[in-house]
Amino acid sequence: MSVIEVKNLCKTFKVKKKEKGLKGSLKSLWKPKYKKIEAVQDISFSVEKGEMIAFIGPNGAGKSTTIKMLTGILYPDSGDISILGFDPKKERKNLAYEIGTVFGQKEQLWTHLTPYDNFKFFGAIYDIPEQAVEKKIEELKGLFELEDFINTPVRNLSLGQRIRCEIVASLIHNPKILFLDEPTIGLDPVVKENIRSLIKRMNKEYKTTVFLTSHDVGDIEKLCKRVVIVNHGKLVLDDSMENLKYHYLNKKIVEAKMKEKVNLEGEDGISILKDKGYNLKIEVDTKKKSVADALKLLNPDNIVDINISNIPLEDIISDIYQGEEK
Amino acid sequence: MKKYVFIFKSEFMSSLQYILNVIFGFIGYAVILFVFFQLWEYLYSDPNELINGYTMSEMVWYVIITEILWSSLGGRKLCTKICNDIKSGNIAYNICKPYSYIGYVVSSHLGSIAVKTAIYFLLGMIMGFFFLGGFPKLSLISILLIAFSSILSLGISTLLILIIGLFSFFIEDAQPFYWLYSKFILIVGTLFPIEFFPKIVRPILNYSPIFAICYGPAKLFVHFDMLYALQVIGIQFIYLVVVYFICTLLYKKGVKKLNVNGG
Repeated sequence: MSVIEVKNLCKTFKVKKKEKGLKGSLKSLWKPKYKKIEAVQDISFSVEKGEMIAFIGPNGAGKSTTIKMLTGILYPDSGDISILGFDPKKERKNLAYEIGTVFGQKEQLWTHLTPYDNFKFFGAIYDIPEQAVEKKIEELKGLFELEDFINTPVRNLSLGQRIRCEIVASLIHNPKILFLDEPTIGLDPVVKENIRSLIKRMNKEYKTTVFLTSHDVGDIEKLCKRVVIVNHGKLVLDDSMENLKYHYLNKKIVEAKMKEKVNLEGEDGISILKDKGYNLKIEVDTKKKSVADALKLLNPDNIVDINISNIPLEDIISDIYQGEEK
Repeated sequence: MKKYVFIFKSEFMSSLQYILNVIFGFIGYAVILFVFFQLWEYLYSDPNELINGYTMSEMVWYVIITEILWSSLGGRKLCTKICNDIKSGNIAYNICKPYSYIGYVVSSHLGSIAVKTAIYFLLGMIMGFFFLGGFPKLSLISILLIAFSSILSLGISTLLILIIGLFSFFIEDAQPFYWLYSKFILIVGTLFPIEFFPKIVRPILNYSPIFAICYGPAKLFVHFDMLYALQVIGIQFIYLVVVYFICTLLYKKGVKKLNVNGG
């Protein structure tokens, strides 16, 4: 069952254009000029119940604009959106009861209050009975390991603790869909990992659909089974993480320490990334040459040490972004 | 309604962290009162003399009340916040919550100034007593009605500033409008009662927001009359409905024009 249905979504912003200098400023007072920016162009996709989807793209690709249209913050110019059967444009308030939002770069908690008081506050604004809120706080306190700081004012919490509380605050009303906009931004690797495992646990426990945007490949790789990539306002790719890796991981990186120097210049399917005499780093295009053939060229007897790895997902995604730009 | 009470309560709890700031902020207010006390003492040759129907003591009490209502409102801070929220797109984070933005602004702002207003009232009364040697004679019911009218005045003022702030949806910066508005209130509203202005402008002032936010409650404090109290509160209610309606209209029109930075 689809919980998010987006069809032919478009959004254009009108931005004031000003010529440089004082003359330009005065001219724009008299005769302002505007340029149109097509932030989102004809995007269509759907998300199933309980899915964890990564919605990614470079800065200015249109992903935040899309999220804001899905949550009813921005009005689309054209196209249809249905979130759990609601039209965000017309039923924003009703929709708000069914979705949760976490914006990593923006605090929604009251910093002078404790997480507990904040959760009570969120319970009240979502019209949840007092007892149900208490029960939910108790439940989420355990799931997100908040016991040690639930009564400490938010301003005294670390960033990792605050993000955990932000997520809990957005779950108080049992949302069916959780929109996470860069939830791990600014966190250290250990805390990032912790947040990811908590999100995973939440998805498993409550079957909450997660719509994630992030620039962190780790978030995408570890949390999502499906990835939607947008660039220049257009949908570039909508595929499963497995397919993405399978189609784009046809290149292997081979790093070898050699006894003797080897010249692979001009070999088909091999590009030399680094050649420092006895240390060699090559990229093997497995569509043209198998790894075994590449190793034969190196001569196994000549190898002191070797490491074969996949291209990092980060590079694959940048390749997709750049491929689109070309 | 419960959610707005909670918003009020949460802001109220947060504001308790700044009590010292409020007390220091009162110094500026005390200086204004002192200057006006000196001014009226100089202008009135005899404290029982009547100028436009006010004794010296009534004039000072009038300024004490209007200045409490205006100084404790924190209008500039509120207007700057709304303008910045709209310009930066931060307003988006309020839009995706299940409450009315107008209800949120009014309840959170009143929650944030509740402690400040109570302290200003208390210290203002002490100063007035110290300067003038006594209070106007008021019954408990009249005190309650004046308090209610003062709360309505703060609610109307908040909505009027929200109207100015919401203009940011349509123009680059709405803050200069607040500057004009605050100077208008200062000169025409807080320092002199309407009776001090030429006859020709009095009807206009009686229908202007000055009546609902400054003159009405202050006049009740110095010349309490039950019928007049009901009239003032009635007019304040009409004002409340009208400004709320204008806010809703502006917000509905403006939110469609929202341009959120970074998306």
